Amino acid sequence: MKAKYIFIAALAAVAMLNTSCEKVSPQGVLMGNTGVEDRVKMSELYFKEYLMSSTNNIYVRPKENNDYSYSFLVGADSHLTTDPGRMDEMFALGLENDDLLYCHLGDIADTKPEYYIVLDSLIKKAKERYVNKYYELNDLNRWREKIDPYDMIGSAYDDIKFPFYPVVGNHDLTHNGWALWSNIFHSSFYEFDVNCGYDENGVPICDHFIFLDTASGTLGKRQVELIEEGLLDGENNYRHTFVFGHTNIFLPSSMEFASTFPREQTYFLLKQFDKWNATIVFCGHVHKWDEQLFNAVYFLTLDSMSERNSPKPGDYLVRINVDKDGFIDLEKVHMNYVAPKK
Amino acid sequence: MIKKALTLLLLTLAASTGWAQNSYIPYKTFDGEHKNEISGYVMGGNNVVTDKFGGLEVSYTRHLTPRWHVGGDAQMQFGKELFSVDVQGGYRLPIKWGNISFDGKIMYNFYHKFGFHEMSYNISATWESAYVDFRLGETLVHYHSHVWGMGWGYTETPLLTFGFGVNIRHRDNPWNMGLFFRNYDDFYYENWNINWGIRWYAKVKERWNLFGEFNIRPAGSMSQLASKYEGSVKLGLKYKW
Repeated sequence: MKAKYIFIAALAAVAMLNTSCEKVSPQGVLMGNTGVEDRVKMSELYFKEYLMSSTNNIYVRPKENNDYSYSFLVGADSHLTTDPGRMDEMFALGLENDDLLYCHLGDIADTKPEYYIVLDSLIKKAKERYVNKYYELNDLNRWREKIDPYDMIGSAYDDIKFPFYPVVGNHDLTHNGWALWSNIFHSSFYEFDVNCGYDENGVPICDHFIFLDTASGTLGKRQVELIEEGLLDGENNYRHTFVFGHTNIFLPSSMEFASTFPREQTYFLLKQFDKWNATIVFCGHVHKWDEQLFNAVYFLTLDSMSERNSPKPGDYLVRINVDKDGFIDLEKVHMNYVAPKK
Repeated sequence: MIKKALTLLLLTLAASTGWAQNSYIPYKTFDGEHKNEISGYVMGGNNVVTDKFGGLEVSYTRHLTPRWHVGGDAQMQFGKELFSVDVQGGYRLPIKWGNISFDGKIMYNFYHKFGFHEMSYNISATWESAYVDFRLGETLVHYHSHVWGMGWGYTETPLLTFGFGVNIRHRDNPWNMGLFFRNYDDFYYENWNINWGIRWYAKVKERWNLFGEFNIRPAGSMSQLASKYEGSVKLGLKYKW
């Protein structure tokens, strides 16, 4: 009798392990596919080679009367498959509102090559719309910003940075998805400044944007070392610091079936946010809206913007408006896209 | 392939014994003769955040009656700079297939390295049989920074506490070893981070027992992306009288 149960259990286990659903990886409960240490090693090389330069900083387009106010849009857990509707809507909303940049909190696409082809194509189209709105060709047939008509040198199309900044999520990595994700976005952690003009003494006013690789529920040993060494601290005194990561710090309710950070990792991060003097920490992962104030840091956990997880129209995006004096206003942004019925 | 084979083995073991009993507390269970237990262990390991660590732990349990017990534990972990104390008590209900225990525990942790104080309150029920144990409970955790100016801290939503263990020998055997899966350890409670490993004990003299554990504690288990987070070993000695 016992042998029968063992046989049934073994069959069930084999079936679970061989499940190929794009969202489920049962063996990952005990052992993961893609190590955070490997991701961080690759990302460290890319970050130090290409992303540490001040050329990656973003400059706010000044409005009249030295008004350097700006806004940015944040979304989470799009779990894109073959339907890019919600991601496309996010870019359209950002473009329509003249948001300075768009941030994504991970789980951007479920891990299949064809989904990443859809995503890559979508980002290329969004960049075309972005360039057409803010750039024009100069006499040398190169692109210059429309607000800078005297730019005779301009830029090649490929050198124009489309301001989309994602972090990596756990579903981006199951089924060995790192190869797909890194092929488009390259580094799983990075930081840059947003320059917002100058104060009365001529000192630049900067806000700091930090993106962490938290997809594995831990930063990993090397990322912890890099943070302790100050790699992501930036070079300026910052007015605001915004931190973006996938895994949520706080659980919105007790029965959310998703791992948060282990104890030491949680306390390390909370201490680090305090050290960075963070204004807002953005997280996703758990597919539930949550807001907390802890140690004078505001924590926002965003709901999933995926049309499968959140099929009805709703306020799935967040827009942060930073006015010319640095005051912050949080605005929930409504999404209307509904997937067509099959 | 090796990962798949090992996972298959563990899942098969878990599933094949899944109808059975309670959680592994061999050095806290009344043996019908001795009313006092004192134990201690040394531990060492490596954690992604704190690097190498080592520690010392001591426990005392008093069996007030064959059914009721109270006790306390304390530990110091160097490297992690973690200091912990707890008090606990429980009631044991013998049933046909073993015992059902109802336990409560109040625990204080000071994570000196990060400047965080943590209080945990746990209640749980444990079904313990000859070969298998199963625990289910709820834990409330509150923590705050040592800088009180930063506010009163955060109380987590109640965490489901669960544990499962299986032994290769009958629990009354002088020696035993087995596997465990659980989302807690002696001095922490997690949400969906499941640690697992091997445990063993052996009677060395009438009143003395050796025991130990090898514990793998990944991060991100229920994100289906379990990643290396912590590995540790414990080696302890228990005396009862």
